[in-house]
Amino acid sequence: MNRLENELRNALKREEPPEGFADRVLARVSERKQVSRMNFFMWPSLKWAFAGALCLLLVVAGVEYRQDKQEQARGEAAKAQLMLALRITAGKLQLAQEKVQQIGALQRY
Amino acid sequence: MMADTTAIGTMTADLPEFADLVRAYQRMVFSIAYHFLHDRAGAEDIAQEVFLQLHRTLSSLKSEAHIRAWLCKVTSHRCIDYARSRKADLPLDRIPEPVSKPSSGDPLMAALVQRAVASLPPKVRIVVVLRYQEDLEPAEIARVLGLRVNTVKSQLHRSLDILRQKLGGTLGDVES
Repeated sequence: MNRLENELRNALKREEPPEGFADRVLARVSERKQVSRMNFFMWPSLKWAFAGALCLLLVVAGVEYRQDKQEQARGEAAKAQLMLALRITAGKLQLAQEKVQQIGALQRY
Repeated sequence: MMADTTAIGTMTADLPEFADLVRAYQRMVFSIAYHFLHDRAGAEDIAQEVFLQLHRTLSSLKSEAHIRAWLCKVTSHRCIDYARSRKADLPLDRIPEPVSKPSSGDPLMAALVQRAVASLPPKVRIVVVLRYQEDLEPAEIARVLGLRVNTVKSQLHRSLDILRQKLGGTLGDVES
Protein backbone atom coordinates (compact mmCIF):
# COMPACT_ATOMS: atom_id res chain seq x y z
CA MET A 1 0.00 0.00 0.00
CA ASN A 2 1.47 3.40 -0.93
CA ARG A 3 1.51 6.57 1.10
CA LEU A 4 -1.42 8.15 -0.69
CA GLU A 5 -3.64 5.16 0.11
CA ASN A 6 -2.56 5.32 3.75
CA GLU A 7 -3.40 9.00 3.88
CA LEU A 8 -6.77 8.30 2.27
CA ARG A 9 -7.60 5.63 4.87
CA ASN A 10 -6.59 8.01 7.62
CA ALA A 11 -8.53 10.96 6.20
CA LEU A 12 -11.64 8.94 5.41
CA LYS A 13 -12.07 7.28 8.79
CA ARG A 14 -15.63 7.00 9.99
CA GLU A 15 -16.91 10.13 11.71
CA GLU A 16 -19.30 10.28 14.64
CA PRO A 17 -22.68 11.63 13.56
CA PRO A 18 -23.91 14.79 15.31
CA GLU A 19 -25.19 14.40 18.89
CA GLY A 20 -28.75 13.04 19.02
CA PHE A 21 -28.75 11.87 15.40
CA ALA A 22 -30.35 8.48 16.17
CA ASP A 23 -33.01 10.13 18.35
CA ARG A 24 -33.91 12.55 15.55
CA VAL A 25 -34.24 9.68 13.09
CA LEU A 26 -36.42 7.70 15.50
CA ALA A 27 -38.57 10.76 16.20
CA ARG A 28 -39.18 11.19 12.47
CA VAL A 29 -40.04 7.49 12.13
CA SER A 30 -42.54 7.72 15.02
CA GLU A 31 -44.03 10.88 13.52
CA ARG A 32 -44.48 9.13 10.18
CA LYS A 33 -45.97 6.07 11.85
CA GLN A 34 -48.55 8.29 13.59
CA VAL A 35 -49.42 10.05 10.36
CA SER A 36 -49.82 6.76 8.51
CA ARG A 37 -51.92 5.38 11.42
CA MET A 38 -54.14 8.48 11.20
CA ASN A 39 -54.44 7.98 7.48
CA PHE A 40 -55.27 4.33 8.05
CA PHE A 41 -58.14 5.23 10.37
CA MET A 42 -59.32 8.37 8.63
CA TRP A 43 -59.22 7.52 4.98
CA PRO A 44 -61.39 4.38 5.05
CA SER A 45 -64.17 6.22 6.90
CA LEU A 46 -63.88 9.17 4.53
CA LYS A 47 -63.97 6.80 1.59
CA TRP A 48 -67.04 5.04 2.99
CA ALA A 49 -68.74 8.38 3.64
CA PHE A 50 -67.97 9.48 0.09
CA ALA A 51 -69.24 6.17 -1.31
CA GLY A 52 -72.41 6.45 0.80
CA ALA A 53 -73.03 10.00 -0.35
CA LEU A 54 -72.50 8.96 -3.96
CA CYS A 55 -74.96 6.05 -3.59
CA LEU A 56 -77.55 8.33 -1.99
CA LEU A 57 -77.09 10.84 -4.79
CA LEU A 58 -77.56 8.11 -7.39
CA VAL A 59 -80.71 6.82 -5.68
CA VAL A 60 -82.20 10.34 -5.40
CA ALA A 61 -81.33 11.07 -9.03
CA GLY A 62 -82.86 7.72 -10.10
CA VAL A 63 -86.09 8.36 -8.19
CA GLU A 64 -86.27 11.89 -9.58
CA TYR A 65 -85.74 10.62 -13.13
CA ARG A 66 -88.39 7.92 -12.70
CA GLN A 67 -90.88 10.45 -11.33
CA ASP A 68 -90.15 12.76 -14.26
CA LYS A 69 -90.72 9.91 -16.68
CA GLN A 70 -94.02 8.94 -14.97
CA GLU A 71 -95.14 12.57 -14.99
CA GLN A 72 -94.28 12.81 -18.66
CA ALA A 73 -96.19 9.59 -19.42
CA ARG A 74 -99.23 10.85 -17.48
CA GLY A 75 -99.06 14.12 -19.41
CA GLU A 76 -98.88 12.26 -22.72
CA ALA A 77 -101.87 10.09 -21.75
CA ALA A 78 -103.90 13.16 -20.69
CA LYS A 79 -103.02 14.88 -23.95
CA ALA A 80 -104.11 11.83 -25.94
CA GLN A 81 -107.40 11.67 -23.99
CA LEU A 82 -108.00 15.38 -24.59
CA MET A 83 -107.33 14.98 -28.30
CA LEU A 84 -109.74 12.03 -28.41
CA ALA A 85 -112.38 14.04 -26.55
CA LEU A 86 -111.89 16.95 -28.95
CA ARG A 87 -112.18 14.62 -31.93
CA ILE A 88 -115.42 13.11 -30.52
CA THR A 89 -116.81 16.56 -29.76
CA ALA A 90 -115.92 17.77 -33.25
CA GLY A 91 -117.67 14.72 -34.72
CA LYS A 92 -120.77 15.34 -32.61
CA LEU A 93 -120.81 19.03 -33.58
CA GLN A 94 -120.45 18.10 -37.23
CA LEU A 95 -123.40 15.73 -36.86
CA ALA A 96 -125.51 18.36 -35.08
CA GLN A 97 -124.69 20.92 -37.77
CA GLU A 98 -125.77 18.48 -40.51
CA LYS A 99 -129.07 17.81 -38.66
CA VAL A 100 -129.71 21.54 -38.28
CA GLN A 101 -129.03 22.05 -41.99
CA GLN A 102 -131.34 19.17 -42.90
CA ILE A 103 -134.19 20.59 -40.72
CA GLY A 104 -133.69 24.06 -42.21
CA ALA A 105 -133.92 22.64 -45.74
CA LEU A 106 -137.15 20.73 -44.93
CA GLN A 107 -138.75 23.88 -43.49
CA ARG A 108 -137.91 25.87 -46.63
CA TYR A 109 -139.74 23.32 -48.85
CA MET B 1 -14.02 -4.27 7.35
CA MET B 2 -15.00 -1.72 9.96
CA ALA B 3 -17.88 -3.49 11.58
CA ASP B 4 -19.80 -1.46 14.10
CA THR B 5 -22.82 -3.66 13.80
CA THR B 6 -24.81 -5.44 16.45
CA ALA B 7 -26.71 -8.68 16.16
CA ILE B 8 -30.18 -7.97 14.85
CA GLY B 9 -32.68 -10.79 14.92
CA THR B 10 -35.57 -10.62 12.54
CA MET B 11 -35.81 -7.75 10.10
CA THR B 12 -38.82 -5.96 11.45
CA ALA B 13 -39.85 -2.34 11.35
CA ASP B 14 -40.62 -2.32 15.10
CA LEU B 15 -39.18 0.75 16.72
CA PRO B 16 -36.85 -0.88 19.30
CA GLU B 17 -35.27 -3.17 16.69
CA PHE B 18 -35.06 -0.31 14.25
CA ALA B 19 -33.39 1.86 16.90
CA ASP B 20 -30.70 -0.83 17.23
CA LEU B 21 -30.19 -0.75 13.48
CA VAL B 22 -29.87 3.04 13.42
CA ARG B 23 -27.32 2.97 16.25
CA ALA B 24 -25.40 0.16 14.56
CA TYR B 25 -25.10 1.82 11.18
CA GLN B 26 -25.31 5.55 11.87
CA ARG B 27 -21.54 6.06 11.77
CA MET B 28 -21.20 4.23 8.47
CA VAL B 29 -24.08 6.03 6.73
CA PHE B 30 -23.24 9.46 8.12
CA SER B 31 -19.55 9.08 7.27
CA ILE B 32 -20.16 8.06 3.66
CA ALA B 33 -22.35 11.12 3.22
CA TYR B 34 -19.98 13.36 5.15
CA HIS B 35 -16.85 12.32 3.26
CA PHE B 36 -18.73 12.69 0.01
CA LEU B 37 -20.30 16.09 0.73
CA HIS B 38 -17.80 17.54 3.17
CA ASP B 39 -20.76 19.18 4.89
CA ARG B 40 -22.08 17.89 8.22
CA ALA B 41 -25.59 19.37 7.89
CA GLY B 42 -26.04 17.98 4.39
CA ALA B 43 -24.63 14.64 5.50
CA GLU B 44 -27.10 14.46 8.38
CA ASP B 45 -30.00 15.24 6.01
CA ILE B 46 -28.97 12.47 3.66
CA ALA B 47 -28.34 10.01 6.51
CA GLN B 48 -31.76 10.71 8.03
CA GLU B 49 -33.49 10.19 4.68
CA VAL B 50 -31.57 6.94 4.18
CA PHE B 51 -32.75 5.59 7.55
CA LEU B 52 -36.35 6.67 6.89
CA GLN B 53 -36.18 4.83 3.58
CA LEU B 54 -34.69 1.82 5.40
CA HIS B 55 -37.65 1.81 7.78
CA ARG B 56 -40.05 1.67 4.83
CA THR B 57 -38.07 -1.08 3.09
CA LEU B 58 -36.96 -3.14 6.06
CA SER B 59 -39.44 -6.00 5.67
CA SER B 60 -38.10 -6.76 2.18
CA LEU B 61 -34.48 -7.08 3.34
CA LYS B 62 -33.49 -10.64 4.15
CA SER B 63 -30.53 -10.35 6.49
CA GLU B 64 -28.18 -7.97 8.20
CA ALA B 65 -25.65 -8.45 5.39
CA HIS B 66 -28.30 -7.26 2.98
CA ILE B 67 -28.97 -4.26 5.19
CA ARG B 68 -25.33 -3.16 5.14
CA ALA B 69 -25.11 -3.50 1.34
CA TRP B 70 -28.47 -1.77 0.96
CA LEU B 71 -27.38 1.13 3.17
CA CYS B 72 -24.12 1.58 1.24
CA LYS B 73 -26.03 1.52 -2.03
CA VAL B 74 -28.81 3.91 -1.06
CA THR B 75 -26.47 6.34 0.68
CA SER B 76 -24.16 6.37 -2.34
CA HIS B 77 -26.99 7.02 -4.77
CA ARG B 78 -28.48 9.73 -2.59
CA CYS B 79 -25.08 11.41 -2.37
CA ILE B 80 -24.67 11.35 -6.15
CA ASP B 81 -28.21 12.71 -6.62
CA TYR B 82 -27.50 15.45 -4.08
CA ALA B 83 -24.32 16.41 -5.94
CA ARG B 84 -26.26 16.45 -9.23
CA SER B 85 -28.90 18.71 -7.71
CA ARG B 86 -26.18 21.13 -6.70
CA LYS B 87 -25.01 20.90 -10.35
CA ALA B 88 -21.48 22.22 -10.23
CA ASP B 89 -18.76 20.66 -8.12
CA LEU B 90 -17.23 22.89 -5.52
CA PRO B 91 -13.83 24.18 -6.51
CA LEU B 92 -11.09 23.10 -4.12
CA ASP B 93 -10.72 26.54 -2.53
CA ARG B 94 -14.45 26.70 -1.67
CA ILE B 95 -14.56 23.36 0.13
CA PRO B 96 -14.75 24.04 3.89
CA GLU B 97 -12.27 22.75 6.41
CA PRO B 98 -13.50 19.62 8.22
CA VAL B 99 -15.11 20.30 11.59
CA SER B 100 -13.96 17.12 13.31
CA LYS B 101 -10.34 16.17 13.05
CA PRO B 102 -9.25 12.58 12.40
CA SER B 103 -8.23 10.75 15.56
CA SER B 104 -4.79 9.66 14.39
CA GLY B 105 -2.18 10.62 11.80
CA ASP B 106 -1.39 14.11 10.59
CA PRO B 107 -4.58 16.17 10.97
CA LEU B 108 -3.38 18.81 8.52
CA MET B 109 -2.64 16.20 5.88
CA ALA B 110 -5.97 14.50 6.56
CA ALA B 111 -7.78 17.80 6.05
CA LEU B 112 -5.96 18.37 2.75
CA VAL B 113 -6.77 14.84 1.58
CA GLN B 114 -10.44 15.26 2.55
CA ARG B 115 -10.63 18.50 0.57
CA ALA B 116 -8.94 16.89 -2.40
CA VAL B 117 -11.36 13.94 -2.27
CA ALA B 118 -14.32 16.33 -2.02
CA SER B 119 -13.19 18.00 -5.23
CA LEU B 120 -13.32 14.76 -7.28
CA PRO B 121 -16.22 14.23 -9.71
CA PRO B 122 -19.18 12.71 -7.81
CA LYS B 123 -19.16 9.25 -9.41
CA VAL B 124 -15.44 8.84 -8.83
CA ARG B 125 -15.63 10.37 -5.36
CA ILE B 126 -18.14 7.84 -4.09
CA VAL B 127 -15.91 4.99 -5.30
CA VAL B 128 -12.99 6.45 -3.34
CA VAL B 129 -15.12 6.90 -0.20
CA LEU B 130 -16.42 3.32 -0.33
CA ARG B 131 -12.93 1.97 -1.01
CA TYR B 132 -11.01 3.86 1.67
CA GLN B 133 -13.66 4.53 4.29
CA GLU B 134 -15.53 1.22 4.18
CA ASP B 135 -12.60 -0.83 2.88
CA LEU B 136 -14.81 -2.39 0.21
CA GLU B 137 -13.13 -4.40 -2.53
CA PRO B 138 -13.67 -3.23 -6.14
CA ALA B 139 -16.07 -6.16 -6.70
CA GLU B 140 -18.17 -5.11 -3.70
CA ILE B 141 -18.17 -1.47 -4.84
CA ALA B 142 -19.24 -2.64 -8.29
CA ARG B 143 -22.18 -4.52 -6.76
CA VAL B 144 -23.18 -1.57 -4.57
CA LEU B 145 -23.06 0.97 -7.40
CA GLY B 146 -24.25 -1.33 -10.18
CA LEU B 147 -21.03 -0.91 -12.16
CA ARG B 148 -18.60 -3.34 -13.78
CA VAL B 149 -15.58 -4.31 -11.71
CA ASN B 150 -13.24 -3.01 -14.40
CA THR B 151 -15.00 0.34 -14.36
CA VAL B 152 -14.54 0.59 -10.60
CA LYS B 153 -10.88 -0.35 -10.91
CA SER B 154 -10.26 2.23 -13.61
CA GLN B 155 -12.14 4.90 -11.62
CA LEU B 156 -10.02 4.14 -8.57
CA HIS B 157 -6.87 4.30 -10.65
CA ARG B 158 -7.98 7.58 -12.20
CA SER B 159 -8.94 9.10 -8.88
CA LEU B 160 -5.59 8.19 -7.33
CA ASP B 161 -3.88 9.87 -10.27
CA ILE B 162 -5.96 13.02 -9.79
CA LEU B 163 -5.30 13.02 -6.04
CA ARG B 164 -1.58 12.54 -6.61
CA GLN B 165 -1.60 15.56 -8.90
CA LYS B 166 -3.55 17.65 -6.40
CA LEU B 167 -1.53 16.59 -3.38
CA GLY B 168 1.75 15.96 -5.15
CA GLY B 169 3.73 18.68 -3.44
CA THR B 170 2.20 18.00 -0.06
CA LEU B 171 2.71 14.26 -0.10
CA GLY B 172 6.32 14.49 -1.23
CA ASP B 173 7.57 11.48 -3.08
CA VAL B 174 4.49 9.32 -3.53
CA GLU B 175 4.94 5.75 -4.57
CA SER B 176 2.66 4.55 -7.30
